[in-house]
Amino acid sequence: MSTVDAPTSGQATRTARSPRWLRRVLGLLAVLGPGLIAANAGNDAGGILTYASAGAQFGYRTLFLLVLITVALVVVQEMCSRLGAYTGEGLGALIREQFPLRSGAAAMALLFVANAGLTVSEFAGVGAAMELFGVSRYVVIPVALAAIWGVTVMGSYSRAERVCLLMGLVFLAYPLAAVLAHPHWGAVASNLVWPHFLHTKAFLLLAVALIGTTITPYMQFYLTSAVVDKGVTPRTYKSERFDTVNGAILGDVVSIFIIIATAAAIGGTGPLRSVSQAAGALRPVAGAAASQLFAFGLLGASLLAAAVVPLSSAYAIAETAGSPRSLSRKLREAPVFYGVYTVQLVIGAAVALLPGNLVELVINSQVLNGFITPVLLTYVLILANRRSVLGDAVNGPVFRAIATVCVGVVGVLSAGVLAQTVAGWF
Amino acid sequence: MRARRERAARERVAARALEGSLLSLAALLGNTVKDADGHDIGALRDVVVQWTAEISYPAVSGIVIRSGERDVLINSRWLEFSAPGTVRLHSTRAYARAVKRGSGTVALAHDVLDHQVVDSGGAQIVRPADVYLATVGGRVELVGIEVGVHALLRRLGPKRLRGRIRPQRVIDWASVDGFAPRPGVDAPTPRSRSRFAGRPGAGIELRARAADVRPLRPSEVETALKRKGTAQDREPA
Repeated sequence: MSTVDAPTSGQATRTARSPRWLRRVLGLLAVLGPGLIAANAGNDAGGILTYASAGAQFGYRTLFLLVLITVALVVVQEMCSRLGAYTGEGLGALIREQFPLRSGAAAMALLFVANAGLTVSEFAGVGAAMELFGVSRYVVIPVALAAIWGVTVMGSYSRAERVCLLMGLVFLAYPLAAVLAHPHWGAVASNLVWPHFLHTKAFLLLAVALIGTTITPYMQFYLTSAVVDKGVTPRTYKSERFDTVNGAILGDVVSIFIIIATAAAIGGTGPLRSVSQAAGALRPVAGAAASQLFAFGLLGASLLAAAVVPLSSAYAIAETAGSPRSLSRKLREAPVFYGVYTVQLVIGAAVALLPGNLVELVINSQVLNGFITPVLLTYVLILANRRSVLGDAVNGPVFRAIATVCVGVVGVLSAGVLAQTVAGWF
Repeated sequence: MRARRERAARERVAARALEGSLLSLAALLGNTVKDADGHDIGALRDVVVQWTAEISYPAVSGIVIRSGERDVLINSRWLEFSAPGTVRLHSTRAYARAVKRGSGTVALAHDVLDHQVVDSGGAQIVRPADVYLATVGGRVELVGIEVGVHALLRRLGPKRLRGRIRPQRVIDWASVDGFAPRPGVDAPTPRSRSRFAGRPGAGIELRARAADVRPLRPSEVETALKRKGTAQDREPA
C-alpha cells in the first residue's frame, strides 16, 4: 500500500509552486502534523501553570521526573494509537465491548470526574488570563461559558479551533525564553539525567500533578478516536506511530523548556501564587509585553481546551452508551452527547467562579487527574495486552513489561500520595 | 399530547406483558445453571446460536458454562429455558463439549451484546444493551436486540431487578444482514453472514440505512411474536 501512496504524494510536491523553504516547512508540519497539534493543545492552562509552578518551587529538580513521564507517555500513546488503528474503534467503544458493563461505567464515571476537574482548570485559566488584562473573572467566565457553548453548538467550531490553536502557539516562545534567561546549563543537564527527588509532601503532590497534566486521560481517548477518524489501518499504522511518538516527545520538550525558563527566572521562590509570576518567565523574549503575551496565549489555550475537554467526555460517554455523537447533529438527535457536554461545561465554569486562588485551583485539578490517570491507563494496558483485541499487534513480552512498569510506577506514586493526603485530613 | 400519553401507557402495558414471554440474555448471563437433580454445574457465560444464510431467526444451539477452570459447551437438547432469565438441564446425564467456533456459530454475549450495530452504509448507529430470545414452536430463537437505554440501566442496577424485562426499542433480528468487518477490511464475496462475528471492530450490519431504521415498540414486538407463533403452528411438523 505504501508503495502506491508514495508516488502520488511526490507528484503533488513537484507540481506545487511554493518556494522550496515553504514546502520544507509545510512538509515538516505535515509529518509532525496532528501529533504536534495534539501535543501543543496539551499545553493548556493546567499544563503551563503546573510546569511553571514546578520551575518556581523546585527549580530544575523535576526535570528528571519529566523525562520519565515522557517515556511513559510515549508508551501509553503508542498503545492508544495502535488500538485505534487495529480495531477501528475508540477507547470508549473498546471498553464497552471488552469489559463488564459495570467496569465500563466506572471508567466513564472516572473520566467524567477527571475531565470535569480539567474543565474547571481551563475556566480558571480563562479567568486568570483576563485578570492580567484587568478584567474580573466574575465577568469573563460566564461570558466565556456562553461563547464556548454557542460557538460549538450553533456556530463554526473548526474556525474557532484554528484561532485558538494559533493563539496557543505563543507558548512555543518558551524555549527561546529559556535560552535567553541564561539558565545554569550544567544543573539542567545533571537534573535531566540524574534524579534529584525530594521526599517531601509538596514534591510528591507536584509529581502527581505533573503526571496528571502530561498523561491526561482525556488525551488518550482523544488520540485513539483521532486515529480512527483519520482512517488509519494496520497497513498505514507505521507512519501514524511515528506521528504519535514524535508528538509525545515534542510536547514534553516544550514542557521541559517551560520548567527551565521559569526555574531560571523565579526558581526557588516557592509555589506559584499568581499568573503574572508565571508570565515573568517570558520577559527575556517579550520584555515589558511579557504579561500581555502570556495572557494572550493562556486565553487561547484555555478557551480551546475548555471546549475540547468536555467535548471529549461527551464523545467517549456517548460512544460507550452507543448513542449518536457529533457536533453536526441537532440537539434533539444526540441528547446524551450534548447533555454530557453542557453539564460538564457548566460544572467547570461554576467551580471556577468560587472564590479562591485560581492557580492553586488549576494545580489541584491536575492532582485529581494524576490520581485517576493510572486507573484508566490500566484499562488501556489490559486492552493492548489482549490478543483477541489486537491479534498479532498485541503487546510483545518486552513492551508489555515496560508498559506494566510505567503504569505500575504511576499507580504506586498516585496511590501513595492519595493515601498520604487522605491521612492528612484526620 | 393526550394521545401521546395514552400511547405511552399502552406501550408500558405491552412491555410488562412481554416479561413472561421474552428471554433476556443480560438476565441469563452469570446465573448458576442446575441439572435435573438441582446440582450446580456452573455459571452461564454465553448463549450460542447457529446462523446460516437461510434463517432469519437462528435457534439456540447451546450454552457455554464455566465449570471449574474451563468453559464447556452444553447442547440445547438438554436445556430448558424459562423467561425471563432461567435455564436448567432437564437431565442428569448431559454431555459437555469443549468450546469451539464453527461456521455459522454466533456467541451472543461475546459477539452481539454491547457490540456496534452498523447500517447498510457502515455507519455505526447504536449498541445492543440486551439480546432477546423467545420460545417459538418448541425451540428457543434469537428474535431481536434491545437498543433502548433502560436495558443499560437495568444491567447497571441491583441484581434482583435484572429480571424485570421491559422492552423499549427493539431491532428485529430479521432485519440484520450479517456481521461486517471493521472499516478498511475487504470482505470476500459471497461471504457467510457470521464470518466476522467476534472479530475486533466487527459490526452487526443492518439491511437498511440509518435513516430508515425504526426500532419496534413493545406493542409491535408483541404482535410480531404472536404472528410468529401462529405461523409456526400452521406449519406441518
